[in-house]
Amino acid sequence: MNAFTAFFKKELSEAAHTHKLTVMGLVFLLFGMMNPLTAKVLPDILAGVMPDGITITLATPTALDSWAQFFKNVPQMGLIVMVLLYGGMLANELSRGTLTQLLTRGLPRKTVVLAKFSAASLVWTAAYALCFFVTYAYTVYFWPEGSTTGLPLAAFSLWVFGLMLLSTLLLGGVLFKNSYGCLLLTGGLVALLSLLNILPAMQAVNPMVLPSNGMALLSGTFPASGFVTPLLVTGAIIMSMLSGTIFLFNRKAL
Amino acid sequence: MDKLTPYLPFLIPILIIELALMLTALVHVLRHPHYRFGSKPLWIIVVVVFQIIGPIVYFAFGRGEE
Repeated sequence: MNAFTAFFKKELSEAAHTHKLTVMGLVFLLFGMMNPLTAKVLPDILAGVMPDGITITLATPTALDSWAQFFKNVPQMGLIVMVLLYGGMLANELSRGTLTQLLTRGLPRKTVVLAKFSAASLVWTAAYALCFFVTYAYTVYFWPEGSTTGLPLAAFSLWVFGLMLLSTLLLGGVLFKNSYGCLLLTGGLVALLSLLNILPAMQAVNPMVLPSNGMALLSGTFPASGFVTPLLVTGAIIMSMLSGTIFLFNRKAL
Repeated sequence: MDKLTPYLPFLIPILIIELALMLTALVHVLRHPHYRFGSKPLWIIVVVVFQIIGPIVYFAFGRGEE
């Protein structure tokens, strides 16, 4: 068993041990169930709270409404939960000094970063897939005739954006040594990207397209080709975040 | 309430998940009496009263080092 596999397994068992797996799994399962249900029940609830004599006409919910909930809840709530839970993945170990012994015994620092990124990505992928397929199953159950072209691309884009946040957390871990610094860096990056999104020229390349335009793609108001450049840019950002983390980590005194 | 009845098969699993999250966090609060900040009563209230958010906040911020 090489160092990467060993450290990767250690990361996963730690995720299970610290309840990260449980919480991620349960929360994303919950979102997965609530998306279609909210879409289905919302008109009834609205009709119920309206005072008598006032009639509102609401369109019957469709499969698109269910996915609208998905592409609203996962970027807002789901990503925040993931970032909060993984905020300290490198920072806490550095500040507690639990890595020192392993590193002085010859564990390459690159391995630490890559194994941590892989393990966190695996948990994010599993939780996200769970949420996606539960929403998918309920949506198909409620609205068998609903058409959702572009769904795979929209879902894939959101997943890639999640990976970018994880790589940002790692860079934050090396830079700040505490989880609040990581959260600040990640929040700052998202805020910066959202601000840049105001400029029309930036909208063609901005990674913010990935989490925010999924619904526009499904409803046909945003072209699938518009995702290509942001996906490539995000891929490049992930690569540079990871190499930046390894570069800084290699030069860092413990 | 009648309008909700058809959705009960979907609402019940959601309630079960919320309870599972709450219990996981509650057991952890009771068994590990060291927190980064706050006290045992505070975390019990947070975890029990604030569904979903409470347990997440506890595991993200409140849980002490082991």
